[in-house]
Amino acid sequence: MTNKMLKIERLLAVSALAGVIAAGTSWARAPFTDEELAEQKAALVESIALGYDLWHGSRADMTTNGLACGNCHPDTAASNPQTFPKYMTMYGKVIPFREMVNWCIENPQAGTRLDVDGDDMTAMEAYAFYLHRGKEITPGLASEQTTPIVVEYGTGFARTPTGIGVDTKP
Amino acid sequence: MSDIVDHSRRQFLSFAGKAGLTTFVAQAVGINLGMVDIVRAQTGKRGVEPFRFAIISDSHLYSMPDHKFDQQLADAVAQVNAMTPLPDFVLYGGDVAQNGTEDQLVKGSKILKDLKMPLKIIPGEHDWYLDMGDAWRGLFGDETWSFNHKGVHFIGLNSILVRDFWTGAGMTPLERMTVMEMLESPIPGPWGVHEKQLEWLANDVKDLAPDTPIVVFTHSPLWDYYPRWNFQTSDAPEIREILSKFDNVMSYHGHVHQTLFNRIGNMSSVAALSTSWPWPYPPVELAFPETRMNRADPSIATDGMGTQIIDLSGSFEGLVQYQPFEDSLTPFMRDGFKV
Ligand code: HEC
Ligand SMILES: [Fe+2]
Ligand SMILES: [Fe+2]
Repeated sequence: MTNKMLKIERLLAVSALAGVIAAGTSWARAPFTDEELAEQKAALVESIALGYDLWHGSRADMTTNGLACGNCHPDTAASNPQTFPKYMTMYGKVIPFREMVNWCIENPQAGTRLDVDGDDMTAMEAYAFYLHRGKEITPGLASEQTTPIVVEYGTGFARTPTGIGVDTKP
Repeated sequence: MSDIVDHSRRQFLSFAGKAGLTTFVAQAVGINLGMVDIVRAQTGKRGVEPFRFAIISDSHLYSMPDHKFDQQLADAVAQVNAMTPLPDFVLYGGDVAQNGTEDQLVKGSKILKDLKMPLKIIPGEHDWYLDMGDAWRGLFGDETWSFNHKGVHFIGLNSILVRDFWTGAGMTPLERMTVMEMLESPIPGPWGVHEKQLEWLANDVKDLAPDTPIVVFTHSPLWDYYPRWNFQTSDAPEIREILSKFDNVMSYHGHVHQTLFNRIGNMSSVAALSTSWPWPYPPVELAFPETRMNRADPSIATDGMGTQIIDLSGSFEGLVQYQPFEDSLTPFMRDGFKV
């Protein structure tokens, strides 16, 4: 595994995947060997890592004004992948997540849309869906404009949380 | 605001509403923030001469010519210049530039020169980490300052200082800047004003009487909002401690690109809208959720952005009014609120 992949694993806490693998191995006859599962996990992490880079501006033709998805959607916040397909007003019909990705490429970023069947688009999805794992799937609804990563005060960094701000209403 | 804009916002909200916005708005209407306490009412004896100031923040200018953000900052300047009565001065909340390059900072200073009134400015992380503030200081001067205006003591601090993560890692200035540009980057860790400015602050206020009205201005909020995105200032508790002797402290900040209010002890805290793009609200329970604005409609390029004005009364009460470019304010926020 490359350094970069290790980094992205730490960043995203991909450890949840390890749990899936452990559960798999408790079957009488595992559908895949441990090596096969490790390869599959590595392939997924690689796609997530690629998606992370793409969301942060690694592909030049996705923008002509310098903006990257990460500018406006830190941690893929407010992209709500788990709520697609859904009705979007700019289309006046129900569209898949990949189409909305292309809408944001062509509009706020004035860039060139991605091939909807390409590996880059898959990676865009892999990163967004990975951060939204465990979120309720609610197709057809606009959902909250919030980040999938619920971080208690301070736990995003090595710092003792003070908790100030939640309970200060007089 | 044209009819077309109103129409598309309505269309957009008809769907957003299903996610609970309608109930949220209904809850917000009629809530009094209740900030005017007894302590506040007594501060009138200091005799603040009523005046108004404006805030512009977070224009994130890119280097390309005729970038849409250039015009958005120019629009903000025009909006402030058109206010009646005119603000006495303008505070700029940091992040003039996106990548901290000199050309971006120069472009920003040129657009801001069109303001009819004086400008006071503090830096954001996007202005700073390419050359550690050299270009910024050359254009705008000291980043730590204070002045008195009509009976109010104004303080500006540089709140985006981090420990040195680049020397040990052998990073180039550009790599350092790239790390700092990313909101959710875990590498820099929490930023703050650090020891020297804390000492400066303690010294700056040591001879002021407790009933002196104080306005403190920083890039990041002086409370723990969402540290993962550096929606915090690590030594905010120390700052609040130094300022705790005062009856009333107003803190105004940029960085969060959204409307927001909070209050801790004697300090009320107000966030600035950005002129470049709005940010979603992080998954944090707010003490004053009614101060959130509507979701931005991505098909309106300037939705969720704007400027703000604060009218200070003789009793050092501030009327905060957000001036959005589009109609992104909830009914609760539309008439402003008192701090
Ligand atoms: C200039 C800011 C900006 C940029 C850059 C941007 N977006 Fe958006 N995008 C928005 C806003 C604002 C919304 C509406 C958010 C909301 O509903 O709260 C949005 C909505 C979306 C949605 C639909 C979310 C929903 O639930 O309706 C998706 C998906 C999305 N963006 C993906 C992307 C991707 C992928 C990129 C990069 C290619 C990107 N965006 C770049 C501003 C931006
Ligand atoms: Fe900013
Ligand atoms: Fe910032």
